[in-house]
Amino acid sequence: MMFACCRRNTFLITHKRLRLGFRCASSASSTAEPADTIFALSSGQGRCGVAVVRVTGPAAGGALRRVAGLSCGLPAPRTALLRSIVHPQSKEVLDRGLVLWFPGPHSFTGEDIAEFHIHGGPAVISGVLQALGSLPGLRPAEAGEFTRRAFHAGKLDLTEVEGLGDLIHAETQAQRRQALRQMAGDLGHLYNGWSEQLKRCLAHVEAFIDFSEGDLIEDGVLNQVDIAVPQLQMEIEKHLCDERRGERLRSGVQVVIAGSTNAGKSSLFNILCQRPAAIVSPIAGTTRDIVETSLDIGGFPVLLSDTAGLRDTGDCVEREGVRRARQMVGLADLTLVLVDSMQLPQEPQMVSGFLSEYLKNVLPSAKDHEQGYVLILNKSDLLPKEHISMIQNVLTQTSDMAPVSILSCHSREGLDDFLTLLQDRLKTLCGDPLAGSPSLTQTRHRAHLQKCVDALNQYYEYRDTDLALAAEGLRLGLSSLGRITGKVGAEDILDVIFRDFCIGK
Amino acid sequence: MLRLRGLLIQHHFLSNCSARTASSVACREYDVIVVGGGHAGTEAAAAATRIGAETLLITQKIETIGALSCNPSLGGVGKGQLVKEVDALDGLMGRAGDYAGVHFSILNRRKGPAVWGPRAQLDRGRYKEFIQLELLNMPRLTVIEGSVEGLLVSTADPEQPGKHTVTGVRLADGGNEILSSSVILTTGTFLSGSLFMGKTTSPGGRMGEPPSCSGLTHSLREILGLKLGRLKTGTPPRIVKETVDFSLAHLHLPDLRPTPFSFINTHTHCKEQIPCHLTYTTPGVDRVVRESLHMNSHIQQDTKGPRYCPSIESRVLRFPGRQHQVWLEPEGLNSDLLYPQGLSMTMPLEMQLRLIREIPALQRADIHTPGYGVQYDFVCPTQLFPWLQLKSIQGLFLAGQINGTTGYEEAAAQGLWAGINAGRTALSMPPLSLSRTESYIGVLIDDLVGHGVTEPYRMFTSRAEFRTSLRPDNADLRLTPKGFEEIGCVSSPRYLEAVRVRQGLSEALSALKSITMSPSRWKEKLRDACISETKSTLISGEEMLQYKDVSFDMVASAFPEILSPYLEFSERIKIEAVYRPHCEKQQREMERMREEESLSLCPDIDYFSLPVSLSDEVREILDRVRPSTLGAAMRLQGVTPAAIVHLLNYVTRTGPTLHLTLLPLL
Repeated sequence: MMFACCRRNTFLITHKRLRLGFRCASSASSTAEPADTIFALSSGQGRCGVAVVRVTGPAAGGALRRVAGLSCGLPAPRTALLRSIVHPQSKEVLDRGLVLWFPGPHSFTGEDIAEFHIHGGPAVISGVLQALGSLPGLRPAEAGEFTRRAFHAGKLDLTEVEGLGDLIHAETQAQRRQALRQMAGDLGHLYNGWSEQLKRCLAHVEAFIDFSEGDLIEDGVLNQVDIAVPQLQMEIEKHLCDERRGERLRSGVQVVIAGSTNAGKSSLFNILCQRPAAIVSPIAGTTRDIVETSLDIGGFPVLLSDTAGLRDTGDCVEREGVRRARQMVGLADLTLVLVDSMQLPQEPQMVSGFLSEYLKNVLPSAKDHEQGYVLILNKSDLLPKEHISMIQNVLTQTSDMAPVSILSCHSREGLDDFLTLLQDRLKTLCGDPLAGSPSLTQTRHRAHLQKCVDALNQYYEYRDTDLALAAEGLRLGLSSLGRITGKVGAEDILDVIFRDFCIGK
Repeated sequence: MLRLRGLLIQHHFLSNCSARTASSVACREYDVIVVGGGHAGTEAAAAATRIGAETLLITQKIETIGALSCNPSLGGVGKGQLVKEVDALDGLMGRAGDYAGVHFSILNRRKGPAVWGPRAQLDRGRYKEFIQLELLNMPRLTVIEGSVEGLLVSTADPEQPGKHTVTGVRLADGGNEILSSSVILTTGTFLSGSLFMGKTTSPGGRMGEPPSCSGLTHSLREILGLKLGRLKTGTPPRIVKETVDFSLAHLHLPDLRPTPFSFINTHTHCKEQIPCHLTYTTPGVDRVVRESLHMNSHIQQDTKGPRYCPSIESRVLRFPGRQHQVWLEPEGLNSDLLYPQGLSMTMPLEMQLRLIREIPALQRADIHTPGYGVQYDFVCPTQLFPWLQLKSIQGLFLAGQINGTTGYEEAAAQGLWAGINAGRTALSMPPLSLSRTESYIGVLIDDLVGHGVTEPYRMFTSRAEFRTSLRPDNADLRLTPKGFEEIGCVSSPRYLEAVRVRQGLSEALSALKSITMSPSRWKEKLRDACISETKSTLISGEEMLQYKDVSFDMVASAFPEILSPYLEFSERIKIEAVYRPHCEKQQREMERMREEESLSLCPDIDYFSLPVSLSDEVREILDRVRPSTLGAAMRLQGVTPAAIVHLLNYVTRTGPTLHLTLLPLL
């Protein structure tokens, strides 16, 4: 965990207790309703020996006692204790690790915090997160939520806020990509479908509430909702019980090799896997489907994909390959953009213009600095040495093009420099806590789905007595689902109402 | 201890009326000037006056103050909540409705008290009469006739945000200037208003009244550089009552016992209520709409109209081949006219006549005044602070349709809030904003200033995320105490009444909680209620009320010695008991939102040069909307959690004076 978690740990684990000039006016709001209890993996990914899971909020103490089997009481504050970590329902022992207890207000967030220092394997992390998620009153943290709580408690120095903002930015992007990956397939269809259905149900109930008197909205509108809601609830419940979780979600930084045909993508792929995993030939368009492998590069878990060369083609199989390649690039944490040096313009001054056009083609969404990439000029052995140094000169002058690697898969020249560069990038990417943690995304999804199912019960409970309270159940359900599929606002509901009904009064 | 109280109407005589001529006030200086005498203007002037500001109301015609220019009705689902809240802050609208109402009903009676919609048909004349009597007899308020041609503006106070400061107004004829510290514009549809009927267009904001405000539009757009947009709306033809065959329409009766809008009225004024009638369009109506399309320039325009109150033309075009409802509403007790709700139209007069005669009940009907459309400018409301002052112009407030809303109730709510803040500004007090968590007025204003409008904005209950806590029944508990204690816009009798009610409800609920029995004992006591005896735990009186068919009166009759003092609150106690568990659950979320709303963002942050890593997209959104608080920023689409953390660097906590905290209701 040398580099992986140090950045985060400096301020998360050492609990600086910095007071801000202005203390939260309503930290007196402790008199109000207690806040939710949230948990998150707060160490980075990568092959760390130890992972840190933190829980903050009023139920943190209870969670610690249940998961660490501390029936007689909480451990002494700020003292490490070695315990077995047990799933509260199945009683299965998940790991043996250190637990720490930081009672509020002397903690990072000002609330009670429990910390679990567990082994860094994905199965262990996933198991502990699931265990915490199964406890009542606990839910996975949203991006930036720990920080905001610390801020509200007056525990955060303003200079820290800045660094945290950047970190959370990376976190959110990584989370977003991770969620997109999981949602790209059938799961996405499923969740979005539910969200659409529930949105429609809510819109119909809202239409009945806001418009039915004096308008032509019949009571029959509710009958449809009465049928749709239990169906939806059953589907989600079935999904939650389904032990087949689909394709195993692999942890790791998603790295994609992309570029035009015959740039040498498959050659680079084979070099990185150190075996001839992909077919290499001088024929343009040899690779048509995605070729994927899990690798370990410098201690970092990497999911490396080779993709079809990007070109317009009449061949329908290749065209599908190109579509898949583009989709892959869209979801990648890091794209290795490969260029055939022989294609570069003769005039060195023109090179940077050519490359930025090339980048635009490979990474259509490169507008955002969020999409990491490394530009690689392959086949350097085919160019004269002087020409290469001229290109290098030009590229160092145009700063926005960095980083660029010049190498030859054939002669292996420049490969070491490239690998150093790649490891550097992986280090940054893995430093983001939560980045490639599919289990956390999964836990989060499950928690929201469960909440949705529970909320829908309120619909039946009040369907015949108080429609406002019944609608409240649908609203809560939709907002839980919306945390997975995107928020649904009042305007979205009104759009459905005006689309489906003729409102006239 | 049922306390019966008369309707609070004072019969003033116009002799001590404070209306003056424009020339006599020209040399004076006022704290607040209100331009416009519609629903926003009247509430604004009254509210500014109530908090102690010397106020001047300028209207084109004193005679039209308080006019209902479109439908003769007040309240409804969502809108009724606004009326109750305006009343809870001691506004005029609720009491005027109780005085002028001729047909009261609570909409959504079957759907839960949170979404009940108190509504009334009004007598136009009586409504106007009430509002004029109130305003013309108000101390500290002067009313004059006049047309405002421009704003007086000077350089801004550098201590405050904004580019200019307003110092008064210039009147049209003679160019008289009147000075003031705050100005509230409530010009409704008169800002570059044009009227449409058939293929003809004429300038104006309301049929039969002279066009105005061209100078104001110029001031706002050219001199002050504000962003304006354009919207449209319309009104139906008025029909001669005696030409209608009511036997061909369905009779629609009011509630047997009218429920007053105002918390301080125990009954309404009208002795005998009058009915409405419901009828439907026919295929003939569709035909006339299609045949007249080529002579209907209003309907062909791209300007956005309201989706929920569409003209008959757009209804027929969007949902062809259907029957559409037409309500025949009385215009007043002694009026000879009917208002056909649902038949707003802009076709030529002869086609309007053909169209209405396609409806069986209107076969021989005559049109008294034709329907017409209005297009008008509005000021994009994202340029406002949540206290309805323009961000770039110190002392200039906007309220009502000028902000892109539609409806009397929406206008009144904004007028009241702008009036309070314009008064406070003039009296050197800090402005106040209302939270989404405490009122529909807060939801309305937050939606306007946070998101802007793309069509005329109307209130719906579905816009309020805390709908089950913001109910029409508890508007007084939510707003009246703070209206008195913190704002000073509520009279002391009203305050004392709200305190008495709060006390009574609170005692009644404690008494109910203190009664606990086993289900079987309850069953003995309340023979009519179906209580499941499977529960083994004790049930409190409060929990009993959560059963559908258990009323407070039933429980009270079982425990008369404890509960009979509270019988006057019977309905409210039942509602409180049913909703309390849900409201308690909502408290946490409300608390969080208030916390984030208490973190203010300085209005002149240069988002493009903030030295933090924000994407251009986020910077652009923040720059465009300029959210006033962190909470408002969080509700913007496209603003990421990371951006919010960055913004923490730039927030200041605002003191309790700027932000009202919600008192625990009971």
